Amino acid sequence: MRSTPMIYCRRSVEILDAKTKDKLCFLDKVRTYTISFHHDPQWYPARQSIRLDPKGKSLKDEDVLQHLPVGTTATFYFRDLGAQISWVTVFLTEYTGPLVIYLMFYFRVPFIYAPKYDFTTSKHWVVHLACMCHSFHYVKRLLETLFVHRFSHGTMPLRNIFKNCTYYWGFAAWMAYYINHPLYTPPIYGEQQIRLALIVFLFCQIGNFSIHVALRNLRPPGSKTRKIPYPTKNPFTWIFLLVSCPNYTYELGSWLGFTLMTQCLPVAFFTLVGFIQMTVWAKGKHRSYLKEFRDYPPLRSPILPFVL
Amino acid sequence: MLSLRHDTSGSGPCSFPDSVNLTAAVVQDQRPFRVGVMSAAAPGTSKAAHGDVAAKKKKGPGALATAYLVIYNVVMTAGWLVIAVGLVRAYLARGSYHGLYYSIEKPLKFFQTGAILEILHCAVGIVPSSVVLTGFQVLSRVFLTWAVTHSVREVQSEDSVLLFVTAWTVTEIIRYSFYTFSLLNHLPYLIKWARYTFFIVLYPMGVTGELLTIYAALPYVQKTGLYSVTLPNKYNFSFDYYTFLILIMISYIPLFPQLYFHMIRQRKKVLGHAEDYSKVE
Repeated sequence: MRSTPMIYCRRSVEILDAKTKDKLCFLDKVRTYTISFHHDPQWYPARQSIRLDPKGKSLKDEDVLQHLPVGTTATFYFRDLGAQISWVTVFLTEYTGPLVIYLMFYFRVPFIYAPKYDFTTSKHWVVHLACMCHSFHYVKRLLETLFVHRFSHGTMPLRNIFKNCTYYWGFAAWMAYYINHPLYTPPIYGEQQIRLALIVFLFCQIGNFSIHVALRNLRPPGSKTRKIPYPTKNPFTWIFLLVSCPNYTYELGSWLGFTLMTQCLPVAFFTLVGFIQMTVWAKGKHRSYLKEFRDYPPLRSPILPFVL
Repeated sequence: MLSLRHDTSGSGPCSFPDSVNLTAAVVQDQRPFRVGVMSAAAPGTSKAAHGDVAAKKKKGPGALATAYLVIYNVVMTAGWLVIAVGLVRAYLARGSYHGLYYSIEKPLKFFQTGAILEILHCAVGIVPSSVVLTGFQVLSRVFLTWAVTHSVREVQSEDSVLLFVTAWTVTEIIRYSFYTFSLLNHLPYLIKWARYTFFIVLYPMGVTGELLTIYAALPYVQKTGLYSVTLPNKYNFSFDYYTFLILIMISYIPLFPQLYFHMIRQRKKVLGHAEDYSKVE
């Protein structure tokens, strides 16, 4: 608990359950206070949500009673967020899966393809290249999770890990099955197409990484402050002039590159679904930027310059 | 978690514990609750939040949307009545149940496909149902109509087709008239009762007809490779419609009981208060 002196204020605080409206506790003549429920270790702080409105957003750890829009009796609503799991755990699990699964298909582990193909390798060099790119992509993600990203929220609901892993692992298996298939057909335009695709892919991987580093540098270690991201000296970040979430833009570009490289319809589907999800996230992020910062650059779009 | 800074420097007249202890009884056993009515919030509570909740309660179709929906539901009721009449007349003319599908093929396709509009109604917001749920239900019907019955000619003379067409017809006539009367705020108890009772028989009947039809289609799909794509091809993609149909059949196992028991719960809720209400609302 911090020891900064607070201005004296006479208030009452009551906490109601958001669902049943049962009064969970009532504190009279509160000056300043730390509220959390210590009764049961099951109700660890990460799963407690305290809010001003039963259906509203949770208050943050840093919120101060005095600065909240409440009267002399402050009414808060408690909601159990359910079992929580840390973001880092989820990311590591959901990204390790595709890495391992793809390699299983690449090495043609038994019971996937016909037995005569077990442990054989593809005769097309693009298949080897695709494996390297796919693996590189997920290794990069794992390393970023461990060393680059700074997470605002520590945790997410436990059920998300099943949902997310099904998505990532399922699509990885589906794509890997066709790319590493003995009957795989290489891209129509051959080396030209593959070379262009590789350039796009690498460009976007570097771009994506640059954005992640730039976003990390906006935030001092251990803090949860939010600031407007701006272009830095790194040219890959100049896209911030036009886009709020260039990390998603570059991610889309990477997968378009991979689609072009492999000329595989399941990869195109994966790219499309990912694009739809990232657009939803980008629009949300863009909206919250606009709400939080009055001087937010008006030229920026959420994910695609001028378009989306 | 809300944390307020603790004033360690002051020594006020009030003494209170450093943390709040809850009794287990109060915290346990919360049942999910639905509509949130904003409680008497402390004065000065965020007006935006309050207005938000109030606005949500008032939302619903406007006058124009209601008129459109009434017309839509009346048209659909009429359409399915046409199908019903068509079935009866064809049966009386032929004297057998066999091959009645052909006599109502066109209106069936037209009106069942037209139900896709209902997804739009949810998406636009004039009907308060889930887009996903409605989409799922409508698309599964459309799938059976076009991708199974229409596409595999050999199953069209099967009796299982008559089984699900009859189930659909009776269900839809009741359902669309239910919506029509509800929109006009004059729902006869008989319609409400029918809607929440007939399904008990019609739902399993329809499901049986659908499953038997898909099963009957399987050998033809396998033989002709209908809607299937094999490797190698330049898109590096494959699709086996035969396997897909089998997976669809399997999916009925978890889905059907859930939907069925959901309707049974709804029935208890809606008809449970039958004694309290008068016959016409």
